[in-house]
Amino acid sequence: MASFLLRRLLTALPTLFLVITAAFFMMRAAPGSPFDSERKLSPEIERAVMAKYGMDRPLGEQYVNYLKGVVHGDLGPSLKYKDKTVIEVLAENFGVSLTLGLSAIIVALIVGGTLGVFAALRQNGPIDYLASTLAILGVCIPTFVTAPLLVLLFASRLELLPNAGWNGGAPENLILPVTVLALPQIAIISRLVRAGMIEVLRSNYVRTARAKGLSEFRIVTRHVLRAAVGPLVAYLGPAAAGLLTGSLVVEKIFNLPGLGKFFVISALQRDYTVVMGMVIFFAALILVLNLLADLLLAALDPRMKLS
Amino acid sequence: MRGGRQLTAAAALALAALVGLAGCGKKAAVRPACPPGQDCVLIGNAAELSSLDPHHVTGIWEARVMRDAFIGLTVDDVDGNTQPGIATSWETSADGLVWTFHLRESVWSDGAPVTADDFVFAYRRSLDPKTANETAALIYVLKNAQPVNAGKLPVEALGVKALDPRTLQITLEHPAPYLPELTKHLSMLPVPKHAVEKWGDAWAQPAHYVSNGPFTPAEWRLGDYMKSVKNPRFYGTAGVCPAAVYYYPTNDAISAERRVLRGELDVSTDILSNRIAYLQKKAPGYVRVKTWLGVAYASFNSNVPGLNDPRVRRALSMSIDREFITGKLLRGGQLPAYTFTPPGMANYTTVAPPEWSSWSFERRQAEARRLLAEAGYGPGHPLKVEIKLRNSPDPTLFYPAIQADWKSIGVDARLAQVETQVAYADYRSRNYQVADAAWIADYNDPITFLFLMRSDTGAQNYSDYRNPAYDGLLAKADAEADAKVRATYLAQAEQLMLSDAPVAPIFFYVSKNLVSPSLSGWVDNLSDRHPSSQLCRKKD
Repeated sequence: MASFLLRRLLTALPTLFLVITAAFFMMRAAPGSPFDSERKLSPEIERAVMAKYGMDRPLGEQYVNYLKGVVHGDLGPSLKYKDKTVIEVLAENFGVSLTLGLSAIIVALIVGGTLGVFAALRQNGPIDYLASTLAILGVCIPTFVTAPLLVLLFASRLELLPNAGWNGGAPENLILPVTVLALPQIAIISRLVRAGMIEVLRSNYVRTARAKGLSEFRIVTRHVLRAAVGPLVAYLGPAAAGLLTGSLVVEKIFNLPGLGKFFVISALQRDYTVVMGMVIFFAALILVLNLLADLLLAALDPRMKLS
Repeated sequence: MRGGRQLTAAAALALAALVGLAGCGKKAAVRPACPPGQDCVLIGNAAELSSLDPHHVTGIWEARVMRDAFIGLTVDDVDGNTQPGIATSWETSADGLVWTFHLRESVWSDGAPVTADDFVFAYRRSLDPKTANETAALIYVLKNAQPVNAGKLPVEALGVKALDPRTLQITLEHPAPYLPELTKHLSMLPVPKHAVEKWGDAWAQPAHYVSNGPFTPAEWRLGDYMKSVKNPRFYGTAGVCPAAVYYYPTNDAISAERRVLRGELDVSTDILSNRIAYLQKKAPGYVRVKTWLGVAYASFNSNVPGLNDPRVRRALSMSIDREFITGKLLRGGQLPAYTFTPPGMANYTTVAPPEWSSWSFERRQAEARRLLAEAGYGPGHPLKVEIKLRNSPDPTLFYPAIQADWKSIGVDARLAQVETQVAYADYRSRNYQVADAAWIADYNDPITFLFLMRSDTGAQNYSDYRNPAYDGLLAKADAEADAKVRATYLAQAEQLMLSDAPVAPIFFYVSKNLVSPSLSGWVDNLSDRHPSSQLCRKKD
């Protein structure tokens, strides 16, 4: 276990380093600069601005300085949000993405899991077909279609829920964005659970459990689900990273202060430091969540060995 | 299958919860809490603020917030006109170079007096190269401003002096009748000397913020909102209506539109052009469209063979069907542009549009073909150009029409869409043939448009227009103390430039605001400036 963790951490560091290096040079290779706009800066001002952010140095030196900063936990100042550091930008917005993402994962697990279990238990029955239809729709309809449709119906027409806004994370403001984020996940999760369940339901130990006279509820919850969620857990690692780091579409349509929107806006504005900070954060998050998924998998399924 | 039934029950419960939600009936709009008995104004402010320091911001949406927080020597009234602000009166020397401003007795939001010294400090800071103020060049009209900004002279050399705590003297490089317009600009807003000296750049954090205007920034949740609260120490606080103003970075105009209609916001400062007609029908009283001090234009790179010929540029300009673009495509009340400066500018006179603007479109096309033929282009040897455009909604809508217009006079135009930031970088390095460009006035004076074509403007003179006669007229205008005479020089310059056609003006912008009819105090105006302090909820 300890050696497994150590090995994973040791491979994580070079991965992060490669990600940082690639992102740094790709960002700088993109045409335009953070200070390009309709109004051209006078050469004096441009020099002063560049000097302020150390961007008057050769690129190699900037790269080394940046790495030094990262090692010391300093991601630098934002080039666009001038009174904020990158860490502050990340910290102020991650809470929102975390709330949204976690809620969406929980909703997706409950709804998708239930649908998947039912579909597997009543294979080729009406519930199974209904779940399949929902799953196909959920996967096929992109969020930029579901979000405006749900807003049109529940907010603009029925006037039940707010159209947009965060409002300090009030529950009524969360319902629509969480639903939009959860729908495709519900679809995938229900399919994963269904497939896993069907496979396990046919296995010998389930037959043994049935022969012992255990109730169907007990068999499903105790024996089948535990083994059937393997693919689901493996999927959840990266999926959670995706959800927790925010979605541009959902955050833009619902005007939410999350990370996804900032990532894209910052990339378009060439806010080098914020983009770099987010890339590092995303990469680290994915590495950590994948590791967690592996550990969880081992804990859940007695047949798995960490190696 | 007992377990199955239990699970069915759970699912039924979840379904019932959803149905229950739908049965609750209509809900009031969700708005942040406001002090009881008072009103808060919620503004959909288009984009996130990059800073709360007036010398560190450049955007129109940022200036909106700053003008609610600070009062300069002069200030906007509800019509966007200039009226006395901290200065109650001023005199100008006979040569127009020395201005003396008399300041009212007033205090900052922390109780410290606002003095002439605060203004001296602010102007020096604004131009100090260490501040890296991106709009500093706009106030180069102040004596020694440019060398100070370049670090060649100390900030003390700047032509601004506190004669006593309530008298400020400004010396200029050349006469500028538009100085009272400029003193409203971001670069000339005062900053609290005592707070900046104490906190450094951190003074602009809400925790340390000190302002002298109707509102003081109090809370900023990045990406969510910035909240400014009423400043009880503002000299005009008795006339300030809202207890607080919230500015939301509403990046998505459609989403903001729905929120205004529902009452979740009071104002959205942007509407997509193609929604205006629909909204005017669906929500009468909300849409506020007004000609604005901005022009959309095509710039011709005069370094490109073909486009270096004024006849070719004139032909391209006259064959653009501007009425079709404004009337059929944009449909937002935009005016077709035949001059570069918008109508109604202050300190100006009427500029006659080119003669061809009154011709029928067919006659213009015939003349354009003739001009092209004269320049050596025709069916056997068509002019080929590439139009570079920003990938924002409006240009991608109307440039295909221009492409078609040019095709009809035998010009083979190709559209190349690029990211906005890339487009500006390309225009500056002259890596383009025809550019989709736009310019919004920084202050209400024609020079804010006409300086673009001066030969020493450099990178921003996208077409590299160089005409000594044009430069000479602008220099004469700069040296002229009489505003009327100055206006005629500027108008002559503009007419000269238009006949050379380094640019083809296409349409004048309109400001497009969606304003809840429950608010009073919003007056449509040319500058699109609407002090939040005057926005009041109507009592009914």
